[in-house]
Amino acid sequence: MADLEVKDLKCHYNTDTSVVPAVDGISLSLEAGEIVGVIGESGSGKTTLGLSIMRLLDGLASVSGTIVYKGTDITHLPEPEIDRIRWKDIAIVFQNNLDILNPVMTVGKQVVEPLLKHEEIPVREAQARCADLFRTVGLDPVWMDAYPHQLSGGMRQRVLLAMALSCDPKLLILDEVTSALDAFTRKEIRDLLIDLQKKNGYSMILISHDLSFVSSLASRMIVLYAGRVVESGPTVDIINAPRHPYTRGLVHSTPDIFVYKDLWGIPGESASEDGHAGCPFSRRCTQPIEICRTSPPRLQSCGDGREVACHRGGIATLLRADAVHFRYPLPGRKTLHAVNGVDMDVCEGEVLAIVGQTASGKSTLAHILAGILRPESGEVRFMDGAVHSGNNGHRFGGIQIVFQDPFSSTSNRFTVLDAVREPFDINRIGTAAERLDMTREALKLVRLPPTDEFLGKYCGALSGGQRQRVALARAMIMKPRLLIADEITSALDVSTAANVLRLLKGLQNRRGFAMIYISHDLSLTLKIADRIAVMDAGRIIEIGNAHEVMLHPRDDRTKRLIGTRVGHCCHDHKPVGMAGRLQTRVSDCGDE
Amino acid sequence: MPPYLRNAADRFTATVSKFSLEGKIGLCGIALIVMMAVFAPLLSAYPPGKITGGSLEPPGADHPLGTDELGMDIWSQICYGARMSLFIGLAVACIAGLGGGALGILAGYLGGAADQVVMRTVDVLMALPSFPLLVVISAFMGPSVFNVILILVLFSWAKPARIARSQTLSIKNNVYITAARNYGATPFYLLRRHILPEVLPILFVLIISITSYAIMAETGLAFLGLGDPTSKSWGMMLYYATNFRSIYFTPYWQWWLIPPLVALIVLLLCLAFIGRDLEQVLDPRMRQNRGG
Ligand SMILES: Nc1ncnc2c1ncn2[C@@H]1O[C@H](COP(=O)(O)OP(=O)(O)OP(=O)(O)O)[C@@H](O)[C@H]1O
Ligand code: SF4
Repeated sequence: MADLEVKDLKCHYNTDTSVVPAVDGISLSLEAGEIVGVIGESGSGKTTLGLSIMRLLDGLASVSGTIVYKGTDITHLPEPEIDRIRWKDIAIVFQNNLDILNPVMTVGKQVVEPLLKHEEIPVREAQARCADLFRTVGLDPVWMDAYPHQLSGGMRQRVLLAMALSCDPKLLILDEVTSALDAFTRKEIRDLLIDLQKKNGYSMILISHDLSFVSSLASRMIVLYAGRVVESGPTVDIINAPRHPYTRGLVHSTPDIFVYKDLWGIPGESASEDGHAGCPFSRRCTQPIEICRTSPPRLQSCGDGREVACHRGGIATLLRADAVHFRYPLPGRKTLHAVNGVDMDVCEGEVLAIVGQTASGKSTLAHILAGILRPESGEVRFMDGAVHSGNNGHRFGGIQIVFQDPFSSTSNRFTVLDAVREPFDINRIGTAAERLDMTREALKLVRLPPTDEFLGKYCGALSGGQRQRVALARAMIMKPRLLIADEITSALDVSTAANVLRLLKGLQNRRGFAMIYISHDLSLTLKIADRIAVMDAGRIIEIGNAHEVMLHPRDDRTKRLIGTRVGHCCHDHKPVGMAGRLQTRVSDCGDE
Repeated sequence: MPPYLRNAADRFTATVSKFSLEGKIGLCGIALIVMMAVFAPLLSAYPPGKITGGSLEPPGADHPLGTDELGMDIWSQICYGARMSLFIGLAVACIAGLGGGALGILAGYLGGAADQVVMRTVDVLMALPSFPLLVVISAFMGPSVFNVILILVLFSWAKPARIARSQTLSIKNNVYITAARNYGATPFYLLRRHILPEVLPILFVLIISITSYAIMAETGLAFLGLGDPTSKSWGMMLYYATNFRSIYFTPYWQWWLIPPLVALIVLLLCLAFIGRDLEQVLDPRMRQNRGG
């Protein structure tokens, strides 16, 4: 039987003007000795959850639902009884804010206080216990006589931990215990927690926004968004294959998991305030459908002990290729098997990189996926229809492709305006004025000046980087759901390439479209890719999470590809123009 | 007006403003000759085919350039002759240039069998010695303006066809064509927006050179007596003048032979100037733009 059972917990803060549903129907259970992580960004209701389990919200918020601790429903226990459970059974370690500790009292006194109150032991014994506790959390007992402001952040956090441990609780709730600490101290606290847990067998609820910290400790995780659970399941599974778009965003913006990738947050603001009825994540979601705006999704099991709350059952597949073959005729009745039985899929909103040497068939595959080339056999399906010659290029929300050679991807004779609005001209979309407006918008999007002068420039007079952006603007104007970028930076110099790439990734991040990025340049690819497919001689020889492929390549040819990268480029080197970022590995969760 | 709203007239002025001095002189010359042809009835006092004076009168008040053997006014012959020469030249050039161009574009765009047929025909035509055949065929078909035009067209459409085809092929290989197709562009759209605008300027240069060729060839045929005797082109004037026995021993050549000769030379020079400048203006723009 579970140690702690929380069912349909709701906490609503009543402000003067509105009701803030900080926690909106969360259920969770915790076995004895288990560590469960609660992940979510600022304002997702994590703290409120912790406080309400401790029954510290009485009077501040209206709480409903049940909290059963060891068979006792503590939801409605009278204050004296709950006071007995608090600290002795369930203790909370607060986030290390200065105002948590009383500034005019020595920290020793503050730890001794609950001991005296709950255990009713003599002062002397309490002080001895306190010294022990200090040693347990790695503090010299001499600090007992210090005032809070004399301690460093890490030390104060340890004091708070000692305080929580003072009455020897069974269940610890740790609220953001590491978020204000530096990487080194964070690791010490983590090790300390592991030690304590092993020695005393605490159950823990780890509340944090720090995914790498939580994932290195917890065996299960619960992901909160706007007061609701959006995904839950075993940590390893969630990290390796997140199902909910929000979780994926979190995982992908955690530097310790995606060691090589540049940091890109989840676009948009957290949506806890805007009280619309649908899925709280729909504003920032990469794949919303009609129903997402009208009714909130329920948490549903999706196998392997995992649950996800999404109308589309989690991240949906956008494009799927099945046994695609393509051969080029060669002189003398020979053929070149450029694409040889490729199966792959692309999910909504992800960046899939296809890397491989020249002539490995990447571009041919790209052309097939875009519907420009017709595969000899096999099928490509986009959303729910088959892809055939250009049937997705001429509509909004379809597939767009940007080509390798910037100098031939737009006509020299065309002005920028003509080039960008060409899809509209061809498909007779909008009036001339609307086309002009949309063109300006698209140019702004790719950071080109939307001025009259620039619009009237001939593409032939632009630089390679500018022309590639014009081509990108032409693709963006059709608001694609999937963008295929075929070696778009290979003709550009390093710095321009880096700028175009960052621009592209930025766009992808903001607009939430899925992208297939084709390249032979592994180092650049790693900056933006979520998943990598390695292609060799027409086959996909390896496909997986970018960091997995990078750190643990399975195929020899992949290893060679990675080898060549390290060969002429030291591993921390970044191309000019890419913002360098200091990578401090806090924990080794990536190795799990 | 925003610079992205350029129209054809602006582009024409832009092109002309890049012409060299000779090019501009050429344009003026052509303009004068065209005016001469158009306003021939106003510029000359007499109809060209009417006997209005004595035989072989020297230039004077009545006849500004004198008269020919039959007493017909030379100046009016020159004016009306401009009509004929220009008509033949332009007709041949337009039919051959545009028709050949269209065939070439079609061959290049469609490829396959159509391409084979057109290109083999072009090869054969280019390999044939044109002028001797021209002489033979026109002698065979008999002299008439229509026949002259027909024969000249037959021998001059090959070059534009070939050039249009190779241009179309190279345009077709550009990625922007693939992109446009992917956006759902029809062949008609591709032709209108991508192929014609690239091929037409080149065809235009060719049309000018075919015009000179046709005028020259017509003169040559006329000179050999294979022109239409009822048409008074400058070539026919030369033919009649040079066939006047021992014209060089008389002073007549000064007003009978010189004017059509000078008119022809001026026309051809003007065309050559324009052709050369157009080539320079239209071509390097593309070359320079490609380098960008
Ligand atoms: N006392 C309060 N009165 C009204 N609204 C509140 C109150 N406390 C919190 N909220 C709101 O409830 C929501 C969830 O807050 P909570 O503190 O649980 O977030 P959190 O996930 O812990 O964030 P953080 O990581 O910043 O601590 C927020 O939108 C917050 O504005
Ligand atoms: S698909 Fe719909 S339900 Fe699923 S996360 Fe996106 S908005 Fe929410």
